[in-house]
Amino acid sequence: MVVALEGKAVVAPIQVSEGYWRGVMRRLSRNPVAMIALGIIVLLILMAVLAPYLAPADPVKGSMLRRLRPVGTPGYPLGADELGRDMLSRLIFGARLSLFMGVTPVLMAFVIGSGLGIFAGYVGGKLNTAIMRTIDIFYAFPSVLLAVALSGALGAGITNALVSLTIVFIPPITRVAESVTTQVRNRDYVEAARASGAGGVTIVRVHVLGNVLSPIFVYATSLISVAMILASGLSFLGLGVKPPEPEWGLMLNTLRTAIYVNPLVAALPGVMIFITSISFNLFSDGLRSAMDVRS
Amino acid sequence: MSGEPVDPLADPRDRGGPRQPLLTVRGLVKHFPVGKNILGRSTNVVRAVDDVDFDLLKGETLGIVGESGCGKSTTARLLMHLIEPDRGNIIFDGEVVGQELSLREYRRQVQMVFQDSYASLNPRLTIEDSIAFAPQVHGVSRRESLNRAHDLLSRVGLEPNRFAGRYPHELSGGQRQRINIARALALEPRLIILDEAVSALDKSVEAQVLNLLLDLKDAFGLTYIFISHDLNVVRFISDRVMVMYLGKVAEIGTAGDIFDRPAHPYSGALLSSMPAMDPDARTLEAPLYGDPPNPINPPPGCRFHTRCTAVEAVCSKLEPQLAATSTNQQVSCLKYQPGSGHSAAPPALEAAE
Repeated sequence: MVVALEGKAVVAPIQVSEGYWRGVMRRLSRNPVAMIALGIIVLLILMAVLAPYLAPADPVKGSMLRRLRPVGTPGYPLGADELGRDMLSRLIFGARLSLFMGVTPVLMAFVIGSGLGIFAGYVGGKLNTAIMRTIDIFYAFPSVLLAVALSGALGAGITNALVSLTIVFIPPITRVAESVTTQVRNRDYVEAARASGAGGVTIVRVHVLGNVLSPIFVYATSLISVAMILASGLSFLGLGVKPPEPEWGLMLNTLRTAIYVNPLVAALPGVMIFITSISFNLFSDGLRSAMDVRS
Repeated sequence: MSGEPVDPLADPRDRGGPRQPLLTVRGLVKHFPVGKNILGRSTNVVRAVDDVDFDLLKGETLGIVGESGCGKSTTARLLMHLIEPDRGNIIFDGEVVGQELSLREYRRQVQMVFQDSYASLNPRLTIEDSIAFAPQVHGVSRRESLNRAHDLLSRVGLEPNRFAGRYPHELSGGQRQRINIARALALEPRLIILDEAVSALDKSVEAQVLNLLLDLKDAFGLTYIFISHDLNVVRFISDRVMVMYLGKVAEIGTAGDIFDRPAHPYSGALLSSMPAMDPDARTLEAPLYGDPPNPINPPPGCRFHTRCTAVEAVCSKLEPQLAATSTNQQVSCLKYQPGSGHSAAPPALEAAE
């Protein structure tokens, strides 16, 4: 029953299963919805990077004579805003700040929150209770209120808005990280690693990280759209981006007075936010199922 | 399997010689607190393992049997130091674990195989990486530990070239359990604790894995602790058997004695729950009635007295001690305890035997 190795002259090449990430890519590429979402995200990023070349007009140069032109006006394919600035150019340039404001705080919160959550989840006991109850304090505030309060305390400006948004997103990411780590920590393979005499850091590096980072990452991607909307809220209150900088959230808010005059133009920044956030959501959804090795 | 069986006593790490047990467990206690009052103090304890003593001889297979909840798996985890015992000593080849023998060094010599073959393998690691992990922790180079992993794969009957680079979900339950055995062997341990290691496998695969375990025992000079609820399997593989009931040792002895001449009323009842192969010998009476009592508040005196067929008044008052009924059988029952007051007990002995 046990295969003896003696006398085996034929050395077959080792059959290697495809690597983990290669498998994820293959499964992801077979998911049409996720691929379309990814395509839109790539287009948005390209649009942000190439904004000066794509935009037909200066996004901040206005004209009181051409205020609130409807969609389709010659020279203004998507109309003009309440100060007569070209909407198309403003939407293209707006992608820069909006994407930046959406992605950066989530990225920073992902790094800090996962670190905190994995530590709390793996160590457990009183330290876990201390960390998680502290995190819970932040949960007592609605996220918008917390962001506004923090930004207000730190002072207006993009940097402070980013810092306050990061602080807003650390608690939910820590929560998710802590709960998946607690689950993984009690699996038999972690027990087996402990039984082999490995230390905590080695076990986390080899056995825990690989199994917890993907669910946390998927959750974090779904927060990007929330971050964009919160960032626009801060801009509206004068705590984030300041006019005349083009940013979708800010544009949506300044155009709200024109909703009865020219509803289509007023809705356009909202449409951009919607497309971006749903693309990130659908992509993270696809990523979640592609990361499940058993599928 | 190639080569002569390896004598466990030929191991250069052996210290005490053949007469010294490989593992001596004395007074092992683990109580789990349940339910906390408002101050965070626990109000009750589950007496999962309550004062367990036994010796494990070099090169033997000790089977541990009992109903679910009797403390078999907790004992295994305590022996592996995956959970800290409340009290008691584990002495490995003459050295107290955690004092004379460091936990790290102990874990090099004692390994464990878990029941759930899937949950005990990291789904993100290839088979070879899973097996090579433990040697790398103990300072073996990656290259050498991968070589060792490939060698062990062939020892457990899996073609290294086909399986080394695969992931756990690509294998069957039996193959995964072979991987788990290979991983346990990777540190060249002297003792392997098999906690329901074959219970989740179907019968034909189970038989193959059992034979593999016997082959490996000879080839590597191993000692096994084999925990199972399957009495047939325990009888097949064990040299000695320990019967546990509600966190205590009910009876311990050679497999032949326990299976043919069980002394403890509980052992007898447990064995008669084995389905007979002969239809004429089938039992219609249930060997025991009721569930095991709650381990939170175990009954006073002998823990088995609530379900015992030989119960007498003294059983609810006096707690029995493990007493030898023959040279290689010990029973924890007042029937066999001299001078206990049970009508079947032998008269009290004088101080000198």
